[in-house]
Amino acid sequence: MKKRIIALLLSLVMTVGLAACGSNSDNGGTSSTGNSGTGTEDAIVTEDGAAADEGTTSEGGNTLTVWCWDPAFNIAAMEAAEAVYQKENPDFELNIVETPWEDVQKKLTTAATSGDLSTLPDIMLMQDNAFQKNTISYPDAFVDLSGSAIDFSNFGESKVAYSVVNGANYGVPFDNGTCIGCYRIDLLEQAGLTVDDFTDITWSQYIENGKKVLDATGKPLLSMIAGESDLICEMLQSAGASMFNEDGSANLVGNSTMEEIMEIYVELVNAGVLVEVNDWTEYTESITKGSVAGTINGCWILATIQTLEDESGNWGITNMPRLEKVAGATNYSNNGGSSWAVTSNCENTDLAFDFLAKTFAGSVELYETILPSTGAMATYLPAGDSDVYAEPQEFFGSEAIYAKITDYSEKVPSNITGVYYYEARDAVATAVTNAVGGSDIAKEIQTAEDTLNFNMGK
Amino acid sequence: MKKKKRITLHRRESLTGWAFLTSAALLILIMSFVPIIKAFILSFKTGIGANMEYTGITNYVRMFQDGVFMQSLKNTFFYLIIQVPIMLILALILASMLNGRNLRLKGLFRTCIFLPCATSLVSYAIVFKSLFASDGLVNLILIKLGILDTAYNFLGNVGSARIIIIIALIWRWTGYNMVFYLSGLQNIEYSVYEAAKIDGAGVFQQFFRITIPLLRPTILLTTIMSVNGTLQLFDESVNLTNGGPANGTITMSHYIYNVSFKYVPGFGYAAAMSFLILVLVAVLAFVQMKVGDKRD
Repeated sequence: MKKRIIALLLSLVMTVGLAACGSNSDNGGTSSTGNSGTGTEDAIVTEDGAAADEGTTSEGGNTLTVWCWDPAFNIAAMEAAEAVYQKENPDFELNIVETPWEDVQKKLTTAATSGDLSTLPDIMLMQDNAFQKNTISYPDAFVDLSGSAIDFSNFGESKVAYSVVNGANYGVPFDNGTCIGCYRIDLLEQAGLTVDDFTDITWSQYIENGKKVLDATGKPLLSMIAGESDLICEMLQSAGASMFNEDGSANLVGNSTMEEIMEIYVELVNAGVLVEVNDWTEYTESITKGSVAGTINGCWILATIQTLEDESGNWGITNMPRLEKVAGATNYSNNGGSSWAVTSNCENTDLAFDFLAKTFAGSVELYETILPSTGAMATYLPAGDSDVYAEPQEFFGSEAIYAKITDYSEKVPSNITGVYYYEARDAVATAVTNAVGGSDIAKEIQTAEDTLNFNMGK
Repeated sequence: MKKKKRITLHRRESLTGWAFLTSAALLILIMSFVPIIKAFILSFKTGIGANMEYTGITNYVRMFQDGVFMQSLKNTFFYLIIQVPIMLILALILASMLNGRNLRLKGLFRTCIFLPCATSLVSYAIVFKSLFASDGLVNLILIKLGILDTAYNFLGNVGSARIIIIIALIWRWTGYNMVFYLSGLQNIEYSVYEAAKIDGAGVFQQFFRITIPLLRPTILLTTIMSVNGTLQLFDESVNLTNGGPANGTITMSHYIYNVSFKYVPGFGYAAAMSFLILVLVAVLAFVQMKVGDKRD
């Protein structure tokens, strides 16, 4: 008897396990009708997933399949867009498949390299940083949107630039990664400072202020993940500089902006104004546990800050510091963000174009709906004029921060991400890590450029 | 009926055997060997994404000029040379202790030591990461004990990050190897030890003169498996340190993953690097078999 019970329990565990695996890989594009099925059914559906795939994309001519990843954010936005579009087209339906970005990238790579695009959805959300890489690596996998009714001039110029390849638009800009500086007002007060002391400043002023805060509170102003070059890239873009030249060649050695940035970064670490942490969790904890007095990042970091309900009114938002020595330096930059791309597997491109044109690229109403619920900052400029954006936010000292950030986003200089963006980021991150360790900056930049050139096959 | 009679019993049995084998063999052929051959062909091609063309052995030449790959090769061998011997010796000691006749609660100890193997690679890597974080448990204890003044960033320094990966690997895999040794020890007759005792052999003599020689096949097996596993190390590098600081802990498999999925996909180059790992595994296994096999 005992053995039987154990056997039963074990098989139960296995079935559940299978179901879990099944529903994960199920995301591949099998229809979401699987949701209602039991675990075992799901697993079976996955096995003949390929057959089911073809059904989803062309089904009825009124359904579009979409891949995106965050239920609280881009999925919610897509659902809102579906509702907006359904007002005009009641038959319209979206099949939204929750697919983490890493999976989107792997599935895209697999589909495009095998030449079988039928597993792709109609529309997918793509990280801006990976946009150039994917569209240039797999030109056959995406549809040129230039001929559609979408008006790209309604988006911030630097944002659109991420998804433009050889003059053709491949993406509809979605969320905003405009950089903001966020500061704990109470900690600044202890050092005799206010948020105004951090507005329109240079990095050397930032370091000065940071030292004061460190003396008064013992807390650094900023935390960053070691081995990631987020801050470096933000600083580069704030001066309109890039890690690449127009022709795609590496632009690290002799890039005076890069040298200045490296110097500033090393100084930030040495002065104790910037503390390096090891991963994303440590980074967010340093903010939520209050071990730093602020942060600088894309405005999506607001979601993290706003989880601190008892600190309402204690945070202030302003722009980021600017570089000093280089021409064209501004206080505005960008980090992250994503855009919608239409894949070549989409049979009803007219529907997809029309859907995007009337929602993400044409509906202020959509952005008004999703802002309060998801905090999704639009890059669609007309939405910035909306009343919802102008509402004061109690959490941030009753300031209309959304209108403020939309205003910042228009001023962000455009730069070149290039195909080899991730290679460049890693090479630069290695250089920065070594430079912080005391190595010569010029030598490290040279090594980074060599590594990058090697990766580019030169 | 006539036909059936002509098949001898022996023949029929062997046919049945082959019939059972065929299905498995076919599956292995299609699922394993075909992709291996395809990957081998792929390793002679270069190009971005789907646009690949044959370029001969350029990929194989390229990897020896690749600074990051060479670094990952060095890192992997660093883990290999330090971790495998420590782990196997520990496993051997634990196994012979747990094989003792007079030990109580044997089952409990065995389970405890084997338990780490049941944890997922990703989750134990994350646990180790939080243990050694700047505000993690280890730092807390060291500060409380007065050994450290301020938190030491274990994962932020190359030397300590490597050591943590090695500690993590030892924690995860010692029990696994111990189980092999235990099963090997069960096959050694107790009378052999008894005879040795009567002849006046001490614990150490028993261990070095009886246990180790009789366990030789098992030791060989675990060595080959551990070397093989370490050369393909991936999860720890990705999850514990993310290859950092400054590629100080990146492993070959992690770099291959980056080349395939994080960077502009270079599948030809990635396939070529994978074949280098295959060659390394094969060569090392061959050497170990030659060294370990004492039959003449």
